[in-house]
Amino acid sequence: MQAYALKAQTVSVDLSGKWKFQTDVMDFRRGSLSPRYNHVLQEEIQLPGITDDYKIGYKVPYQYIDRLTRKYEYMGPAWYQRDIEIPAAWKGKKIFMYFERTHWLSSIYVDTKEVSAIDYISVPHNHDLTNFVKPGKTHRITVCIDNRFQYKTHKWNHAHTEFTQINWNGILGEMKLIAIDPVYLEDLQVYPNIANNSVKVRLQVNNETKKQFKGKASFTINGKNYSLKNEVAVVSTDSVTFVEANIPMGKNAKLWDEFNPNVYEITAQLQTSDGKANYQHEKSTTFGLREVKQGKNHVMLNNRPIHLRGNVENAVFPKTGHVPVDDASWERIMLLMKDYGMNHLRFHSWCPPKAAFRMADKHGIYFEVEMPMWGKDAEPDEARYNFFRREIKAILKEYGNHPSFVLYCNGNEITGNFDFIEELTAEGIKLDPRHLFSGSTARTRVKSDQYYVSQQTNKGPVKVYEGLPNTDWDRSAESDVDVPVISHESGQRCVYPNFEEIKKYANSPVEARNFEVFRDMLQKNGMLDQANDFFKASGALTVLEYKAVIEALLRSSKSAGFQLLSINDFPGQGYAPVGILDPFWDSKGLVTPEKFREFCAPTVALLRYEKSSYFNTETFTGKAEVYNFSNADIKNAKLKWWLTDESGKVLQKGNLKNQTIANDNVSPVGEFSISLKGISVAQKLTVHLSVNDQIKNSWNIWVYPSHQDLMQSTDQVLYTSVYDDAAKKQLAQGKSVVLYPTPENVKGRKSMFHNHFWNPIMFAWAPMTIGNLVHNEQPMFKDFTTSYHTDWQWWDILNNAKVIEMQNTPEKLRPFIQVIDSYDNNQKLGIGFEAKVNGGKLLVLAVDTKTDMDKRPATQQLLYSIDNYVKSDKFSPQVPVEETFIQSFLNK
Amino acid sequence: MWNKIALGVTMLASQTLVAQEIVFNQKAALEQVYQKPVEAEGLLPMNDLNVDFGYVLYQSEITTQSESEDLELENVRDYAAVYVNGKLQGRVTDNNKKITIKTNPGKYLLQIYVENIGRITYGPEITDNSKGLFGEVTLDGNEVENWKMVPLNIKKYPVKDLKFENRAEVETPGFYRGKFELKELKNNYLDITGWGMGEVWVNQKYVGSYWEEEKQRSILIPSEDLVQGENEIVVFELKNNQQKTMKLSQTPVFK
Repeated sequence: MQAYALKAQTVSVDLSGKWKFQTDVMDFRRGSLSPRYNHVLQEEIQLPGITDDYKIGYKVPYQYIDRLTRKYEYMGPAWYQRDIEIPAAWKGKKIFMYFERTHWLSSIYVDTKEVSAIDYISVPHNHDLTNFVKPGKTHRITVCIDNRFQYKTHKWNHAHTEFTQINWNGILGEMKLIAIDPVYLEDLQVYPNIANNSVKVRLQVNNETKKQFKGKASFTINGKNYSLKNEVAVVSTDSVTFVEANIPMGKNAKLWDEFNPNVYEITAQLQTSDGKANYQHEKSTTFGLREVKQGKNHVMLNNRPIHLRGNVENAVFPKTGHVPVDDASWERIMLLMKDYGMNHLRFHSWCPPKAAFRMADKHGIYFEVEMPMWGKDAEPDEARYNFFRREIKAILKEYGNHPSFVLYCNGNEITGNFDFIEELTAEGIKLDPRHLFSGSTARTRVKSDQYYVSQQTNKGPVKVYEGLPNTDWDRSAESDVDVPVISHESGQRCVYPNFEEIKKYANSPVEARNFEVFRDMLQKNGMLDQANDFFKASGALTVLEYKAVIEALLRSSKSAGFQLLSINDFPGQGYAPVGILDPFWDSKGLVTPEKFREFCAPTVALLRYEKSSYFNTETFTGKAEVYNFSNADIKNAKLKWWLTDESGKVLQKGNLKNQTIANDNVSPVGEFSISLKGISVAQKLTVHLSVNDQIKNSWNIWVYPSHQDLMQSTDQVLYTSVYDDAAKKQLAQGKSVVLYPTPENVKGRKSMFHNHFWNPIMFAWAPMTIGNLVHNEQPMFKDFTTSYHTDWQWWDILNNAKVIEMQNTPEKLRPFIQVIDSYDNNQKLGIGFEAKVNGGKLLVLAVDTKTDMDKRPATQQLLYSIDNYVKSDKFSPQVPVEETFIQSFLNK
Repeated sequence: MWNKIALGVTMLASQTLVAQEIVFNQKAALEQVYQKPVEAEGLLPMNDLNVDFGYVLYQSEITTQSESEDLELENVRDYAAVYVNGKLQGRVTDNNKKITIKTNPGKYLLQIYVENIGRITYGPEITDNSKGLFGEVTLDGNEVENWKMVPLNIKKYPVKDLKFENRAEVETPGFYRGKFELKELKNNYLDITGWGMGEVWVNQKYVGSYWEEEKQRSILIPSEDLVQGENEIVVFELKNNQQKTMKLSQTPVFK
């Protein structure tokens, strides 16, 4: 209590530190029992902090499968108490108690009387205690934080969900007691006008003196190499007065955007007098000179179309269990966005704290923020509606000055009464012209929508969940509606969990106990040694899917952008490890930021082509495009293409016509063809494209000779599609059999190229597999170029195959094409395997080998490679299996 | 001079206010886009019919014993129009799965045209992702059996191959064709107000879909899909609200 100067006219006392504390799971206020605030609380806690930090609550014995497990659950009122002396010098002042962020209702009791209750979830709680505390007296202040749901809102809303950040109880960030003069600035909003480099400043002056006040408001604007002063006279007798000032900032003032995030700070100082006493109060905010408008297909920033390359942010903070409120944590996230070539974050059903906006302002990231609204939250419920009506206004007031606050949306995938959604949206537009507004993501359109985030429009799908082995397609026509359209939650390709992450939770309020369950199951099923291989192989597939997904959306010149779900893992909803970063935003080591920026950056070289696998009699044709949403057009761009083999040797190269590439657009820049004649050996080649030797991108293609007369039986090797007497006899003679049952004749799941969408626990539908692990070091792949993971050459093989259930085979048997099962099932699965059966040598391949073989060069090559193998002395399966197993997966 | 200016203003006003009307006076029968039917005693969801999204006609013979009987469906994903002997009885959705059939007692052809909008609902409400009709359909409590399920190739059938005839007063779903003249090439919004649910092609290019339950009442037709002179528009309508016309608007239309 010594940390203030008595003479200052605004005094702030830090309230962080030790508080008395008690839990109240019974909520003793409900009955006539003695409620907590009547007593001195018996325990202690440090604030800011959350109950989880002190292991308060129910020690959770469970292993939740569908999310991380909170170690100590607490949901109910919790009481925090301090005796606070209100200095005598505060007589006549307004006195506030301020908490930067709490969950969800905070109530203040002064000496056993409840005096203030606030239930904002997105903004600070600022309790006005003026009329309830007496300067010169020590009051017992008891704060009740109640993290029970205050309204019937969706349990998944990320603002208060238990499933990503936890539904914590506590107080975060700044907490302080503030005393200010009774004529003070309640609000300071800055509205930039880029047409004349000026700002309109709007002050709300509150006057509690009930007398006339006179004086001035002085403004100081500071920026890099910039300083400006200005003032206006103020006079009023009203209790609330709005003062507006237009302040020209001059020609040296710089605009704000992602490339030049020029931030200014404005301080308004109010100096007034009522004739007797002098009053003073100051308020500051940062802002940027920027304007947002609705363009035809894009969001316009400073009258230029921007393209949003974004990530969906779902309040995933397992390290702390709560949203960080410090600059450093958020700066890390903004820098990661830049590292991975992104310029946008969508805060899904929540709104982050001030530090997030500050760091986005500083680094040039465009935000979409939302209220805690999802699903049925728009169904009629007047109490809930009123909560939303308050919350939207509070968000706009608290964060509206931030230049990074570009887009506002009410919430996620809302159903219910869309007249209410329209009401909120129209109200937002009326209140604040500095952002674009939208009713709901991915649901019913409303009239006031200024943009639309969706997986589809009335013209068709605009989301992209997965790539294709061809790239001559986009989502332009489907995106071309009356407002700019942003692709909703694209990506979502599931990676097998990395069990190494388990240990990262040692000091967290949550634990990956589900990972322990998955890991134990894998161990029980005899494959724990493959956990890392599954993670790596499925991760590599997700990376190549994201490259294809993002490029498709960059080719879509009429799309306003995309929101990837997500670059980091989502630890709820069944647990969706879809990220290339883990839930701690640490890299999983699957792709470097430099490689990622080849296909996700302000300028990206793109190529449209027909397919990924070719016969060596064909010609590769590429249509080159350049996506350029950088800061400038590219004058006299040199465009080069070249073809390399796996060793990096350049096989062919050429140039496209030098040209100037426009900014803010996706431009076709020419075509080239590469004859694949002369590629006699099957191999992976890479087509490269560069712009001025700086912007580079590349695509893998595979070239194969064609093969005739495959799968010919010899005396030693019998090819058969049925496991019949002839096959049995062949094996009994110690000879070789290649069994290639038609896929219809194989029990089990259909094989699919893509790994599972989102996660197999929440969406228990096909494929329920997480990609494939290819045992590429084994000799059957000698003539079939492949990595340990599947790439686009596997497309026609995997999409024409069945998945054999192999859990009941000896542990040592590992299929050479091993399908990775859903991690909550972890069975051994395969498409191709070899084994000793009845003394003979058997190789099984559950791939269609009949349909359209003249269009499936990769399948031909795989069969060729296998044929060479089974007819060589290398073919020597080691693990015996029973004949009954072979019969077990065949329909007849 | 004064006169001239006033006239100019009037003309401008009439251009913006009077929307161009398109009359749909031709119809193509839906049978043209029938795909191979599947027959089964019970209902099969579209998943089992290999229809990921789009339309399926579920039909069966029913016998009514009174003049008003309740038809109840266990699951409707996502929208269906119910016809008895070619006469629209109403629409059903998963929120409203009961409908009253009014006929004289007798045997009738029950036809339920179902659209699966193929959308993944990633809400927590998701329990299964079956689409189309599944479970039981009952008529006054008795299960309707012996279904014929006909996938309808609405989206991929070449519009140019559809055979149109002059429109007669029938209520069944089908394709409607209209023509309109344009002097100037610019973006237009097709105002679908009054129509039920369907898909639209302009000059044989797909331009979008509509549903009366949405607040959005228009589909953007980009200028590049239009030609000066005569343009052709084809609409597939599932519910058949007996509409004859649509309008072209210069601005998006919302209800």
